[in-house]
Amino acid sequence: MRILVIGLCCMISVLAVQAKTITVCPSCSTPTIQKAIDQAVSGDEILVKAGTYQESGLTITCPLVLRGEGMPVIDGQRKGEILIIAADSVTVTGLEFQNAGVSHISDLAAIRVKRHDYFTVTNNRVINAFFGIYIENGKHGTIKNNVLLGRANNEMDSGNAIHCWYAENLTISDNLVRRYRDGIYLEFVNKSIIADNLSEFNIRYGLHFMFSNDNSYTCNTFYDNGAGVAVMFSKNISMTENLFAQNWGRSSYGLLLKEIYDAEIIDNVFQKNTIGILLEGSTRLNYQNNNFVRNGWAIQMSGGCLDNHFTKNNFTNNSLDLVVNSRVNNNTFNGNYWGEYTGYDLDHDGLGDVPHRPMKLFSHVLTEAPEAIILLRSFFVDLINFSEKVSPIFTPENVLDEAPLMQIVK
Amino acid sequence: MKQLLLSLSLPLIFLACTPEPQPIEYGADKCEFCRMTIVDLQHAAEVVTAKGRAYKFDAIECQIHYLQENQDTEFAFTLVNDYSKTTGDLHPAEECTFLISPNISSPMGANLSAFFDASTAQEFQQAKDGKLYTWEEVQDQIKR
Repeated sequence: MRILVIGLCCMISVLAVQAKTITVCPSCSTPTIQKAIDQAVSGDEILVKAGTYQESGLTITCPLVLRGEGMPVIDGQRKGEILIIAADSVTVTGLEFQNAGVSHISDLAAIRVKRHDYFTVTNNRVINAFFGIYIENGKHGTIKNNVLLGRANNEMDSGNAIHCWYAENLTISDNLVRRYRDGIYLEFVNKSIIADNLSEFNIRYGLHFMFSNDNSYTCNTFYDNGAGVAVMFSKNISMTENLFAQNWGRSSYGLLLKEIYDAEIIDNVFQKNTIGILLEGSTRLNYQNNNFVRNGWAIQMSGGCLDNHFTKNNFTNNSLDLVVNSRVNNNTFNGNYWGEYTGYDLDHDGLGDVPHRPMKLFSHVLTEAPEAIILLRSFFVDLINFSEKVSPIFTPENVLDEAPLMQIVK
Repeated sequence: MKQLLLSLSLPLIFLACTPEPQPIEYGADKCEFCRMTIVDLQHAAEVVTAKGRAYKFDAIECQIHYLQENQDTEFAFTLVNDYSKTTGDLHPAEECTFLISPNISSPMGANLSAFFDASTAQEFQQAKDGKLYTWEEVQDQIKR
């Protein structure tokens, strides 16, 4: 009973205190954001006017709104982290964070959310940070409409733009991330949505999942990263309507699937990548309505891949459509459009009358001797491909499309 | 003339057969075990087989898993990076001290780092918590 009364009193007192707005500007009575944070109580709003504030190590410890007007700049002068969110229900919006510290021993970030939930980080800019936005153990957060520009030239001088470690129910959308190590990195992150982001020119991956389950990413563009997206050791990932483009390089690919289970890959475009999809140890995946255009290899499948089903995908102008490096497999490739299909459709049902073998002998040769790539497009290669097509000996017999589409899937 | 040719070519043959560590090309080389691009200079590792073939790893845990899967292969070098350095010098794993600390995350989630200097390892253990291991012990610890 006593607790109830105390609780009620508290509630009334909270209601009675009106949330106030503290204005910060270089010529105001509160000239620094640190001062405003010191004065603020739960529910207040800190309004930061345009200007440059040379501050770092700002720590928010109660629920409040930190709002910038006219894009004020907080310059961390390379002294450690700039803003640490250490309370629930904090909103940070409309600020530019510059020059956070760099360290090789601790992962310094421009904005860090530390063990608290219900945060909102929107409409901010982060310039020259080691890590941009770092979520360390947080749930129910929104990271939206931020621009994160790094300057990673090599792997050592940069962390990840948006880094999430132990998190749940995040929405990461409409962000631009450029020139970091990984654009968006998720480790032990579950039930989250990554949508409408543009991730480009990152040294390693555009988006990277590690040990993260039940997530979806949709309508993102991954352009010219070291490699597009890596999904590793994760379950139940939905990947739809993304563009994976221009990921060129010796160990580069549009999408890497390593040890993942139960995923849907639908309506994506893989364009101009060294390898469109590289999969290893991945089971129960459906690939539908994807476009594989002008890749070196559209798909490379290594050992331990079971129950991968490809339907209604378009394979056009790839140097090689498919490589399967294992004899034992129950993966199916029925009902796709293959630009290289040379069969016919006499009964006009839209399906080719003879099966298509997407894996050429030359693909098999390449896995044994990668240097042989210089023979691609030579007459000799055409010859061995043709003879293998007539009587398959080296390529796995069951890698074939029994009902190849005659028309491209729109 | 013949002798001259022979004497010239002989060292070449031996040269070709000596296994030697290869520098890791960060940002371009792929981990032999997990296929990730190697970018982390503090955690990358390498093994070189007796035949001279080098395999590179983004993390020591990947290296250990690889060694466990390839126990029949003979290795000339088993090398790791020192976490406290950012120079990319590789050190023999047998001579290093290993730290598993929840506060130092490594690329593949084992929180495992290596230190060439045992005293540096102890400093990091005091600062970051965790447990120290020898190369033999840590291989037992990291089991798939």
